[in-house]
Amino acid sequence: MNKVQENSTENTISDRRAFFKKTAAISTVAAAAVVAPQNLLASEDDHAIMHHPAWGQKLGDPVTANLYGMPSKYEHNNTRRNTPLLASGNWQASIAVTPIHESEGIITPNGLFFSRCHGGTAQIDPNEFRLMIHGELEKDIVLTLDQLKRYPRVTRTHFIECPANGGQEWRATQFNSLQFAKGFMASAEWTGVYIKDILKDLGLKKETALWMLAEGSDNSEMGRTIPIDKVLDDAMLVWGQNGEALRPEQGYPVRLLVPGWEGNLCVKWLKRLEFASEPFYCKEETAKYTALRKDGKAIQHFYANEVNSTVVTPSPEKPWTDLKDGDIVEIEGLAWSGMGTITGVDLSFDGGRNYVEASLKGLVLPKSWTRWSYIHKYKKGQVLQLTSRAMDDAGYIQPTIDQEVGELGVEGVYHRNAVETWEVTKDGKVNHVQIRS
Amino acid sequence: MFKLDRKLIASATVITAAALFAVGCGGSSSATPAEAKYTNGDVTIDGGTYYPVVNGKTGPYAVNTQEFNEAIYNGRKPTQNEIDAWNKDVMPDGTGLPEGSGSVEEGEELYEAQCVMCHGDFGSGASGTAGGYPALSKGNAEEMQKTLTNQRSGDNKDGDGPARAFGSYWPQTSTLWWYIQSGMPHPNTKSLSNDETYALTAYILSVNEIVIDGVEVDDEYVLDREKFLKIKLPNEDGFVPNIDGPTAPNDVRKFYANAKNFGGQNLNQGAVRCMKDCQEDTVQTVYVTNGGISDFNPPMSVVRDLPKEEGPFDPAAAYEASCAACHAGYLAPGSSDWAGYTGKGIEAVYKNGIDGTEGGMPAKGGSSLSDAEFKLVVDYLIKGK
Repeated sequence: MNKVQENSTENTISDRRAFFKKTAAISTVAAAAVVAPQNLLASEDDHAIMHHPAWGQKLGDPVTANLYGMPSKYEHNNTRRNTPLLASGNWQASIAVTPIHESEGIITPNGLFFSRCHGGTAQIDPNEFRLMIHGELEKDIVLTLDQLKRYPRVTRTHFIECPANGGQEWRATQFNSLQFAKGFMASAEWTGVYIKDILKDLGLKKETALWMLAEGSDNSEMGRTIPIDKVLDDAMLVWGQNGEALRPEQGYPVRLLVPGWEGNLCVKWLKRLEFASEPFYCKEETAKYTALRKDGKAIQHFYANEVNSTVVTPSPEKPWTDLKDGDIVEIEGLAWSGMGTITGVDLSFDGGRNYVEASLKGLVLPKSWTRWSYIHKYKKGQVLQLTSRAMDDAGYIQPTIDQEVGELGVEGVYHRNAVETWEVTKDGKVNHVQIRS
Repeated sequence: MFKLDRKLIASATVITAAALFAVGCGGSSSATPAEAKYTNGDVTIDGGTYYPVVNGKTGPYAVNTQEFNEAIYNGRKPTQNEIDAWNKDVMPDGTGLPEGSGSVEEGEELYEAQCVMCHGDFGSGASGTAGGYPALSKGNAEEMQKTLTNQRSGDNKDGDGPARAFGSYWPQTSTLWWYIQSGMPHPNTKSLSNDETYALTAYILSVNEIVIDGVEVDDEYVLDREKFLKIKLPNEDGFVPNIDGPTAPNDVRKFYANAKNFGGQNLNQGAVRCMKDCQEDTVQTVYVTNGGISDFNPPMSVVRDLPKEEGPFDPAAAYEASCAACHAGYLAPGSSDWAGYTGKGIEAVYKNGIDGTEGGMPAKGGSSLSDAEFKLVVDYLIKGK
């Protein structure tokens, strides 16, 4: 009889008090005895294998528990985070960013989708939701949520990125963290309706309907002007996010989705679309979200998030300190472009001096996160500078920091898409660095 | 075969529509098919790739190409009253700007009562519970507009950057008027009358030392619609691409067709995909200094362990969540100013807090706390602990 079976036998004791006492004692021992397997001697048995864990012997939770499923309690550190630098006085005009370092695939769980608001997250009663569409149309319309959902549906996978992603680091690195350096974005499968399909009935006036105002019903009445080209191309009104209703942080019940374009254009808690011959000069398209160039002119109506990429594994949060010399390890990352489809990613081990081609993997979709991969043999003690560089089918390739700063200067805040570098130190730690003149 | 023919006809229609639009002489505006004006191979308005529907697919996505001609029109036509209730935007040409007036003096009074706690004296900005509230002025607008070419790099690495505030940076005052009325004051938006909005706009123009039609906006100034439409801000022409007038869509498209305009590198426009010796000799490795910014909430961790048990009700946390937005700068926790309010007894203070006041305190600060919880928060605010 080995120990494992002995434990099982003991647990059949009918005295309930003894049973619980014993189980508690075993659990305590188990917790104390956990040794990471990589630290075990070849001849040592792994305690995680050699004992029955409590979850394998006790009854689990009934299906009546946890009717809306939540992550394991052990995953509590996989969460959005915020910092005062990214707030305009309070947490209602602020952003909580996505833990990219824990991201898997090209979909972000709804609870981890980055949350940006200008007057707090509105909690909307869907029964009082109305969407008004008016202006340069033959026929205006007001829709309830049910009426909107009766139009032919479209489902698309797209990332949404705040154009300030990486915008704190024009002058130097500030965040030794992937979550904060690149987490002003997330990705989801969205379900809604093309605006062009609603407009078919409304008689859009071609000569005068050049712009569309999208306005939210939140505290700040967040608004943005969209050019008609995009409205008639792929702009959507969405209510579905990864197979369920939008979360309040993503604009429940309905938000605008402008695929590939600045996140703030994807107006949340939507209430009104107005078509007009001139743009509306909303606060968030003049005072903010304009990129000041070194010539003193600011780019306004800066739409698409340009081609971009990052190494996800390793990262400052998830270093290689536990790797041994000669380990085979995957360097994995994300690439994305709001201007099209990713066509390739190059990876450098020396901070962008020399590149090799990495492999794309999984679904490669337009205006979507795309995973890329490179298998690497780890050499203990070697310092690496991992730089990724993506390209898209519109011909765009990520600039070096010198190229981007050379054209634009350092005061633009928004749309920084120069290549990013992680330095792997000789003991496997990972630091965010910039390679620049 | 029939299907193919229909497709060819359909795409010919799109091309014709695109050609008409390009020369700006589209025909009748009745019942237009809503189609993107692009054809395969075109660059979109943002300089990106266009994915037309080809053989039933747009890019990788299959689409329903079934044709139907009947209207769906699932909703109802809004009444004029309904449109008027929601159509509150104000455009640069004055569309949507109501008649009314307000003086700088009235504006200052309103500002001191409802705005100063966040935006600081004379709109100079103030620190909040998280980050800093925006400044509304950085000084004389004309002078400050000249700082927009400042770059904190090279010899000016630690010098002054560009001053981006209303007077020096924003192109249009219509934006200010509209935003004040729809989005301010932050804890109680859409509460200001037209005249009050004119008054606050006048005050903000005055602290930016704006001149309207040769007249400086001083303490005596009274702003009305007619004067408003004569305002020209110093940085009105500080933005690219052009977005005004009938040529705007083409101007925007042209701007984004050229990678250089927005700092892009395009392989179709001369950029190179360099694989060997790609960095200048002058580059250095720049590290995060002093640990960088790391005051993250919650603190960074990738450990898989059990979360700490939730403790009892924490008034300090509730204050941060529901009250600090305004109270950080006004009757802050432990402020001696509370003495002026507690004289009538603590029950009176509780009542004002729970019911709200005309002075701008929303009922329970807009929170969903119970009365008992709210009173604990009030105690915390008064005592500061």
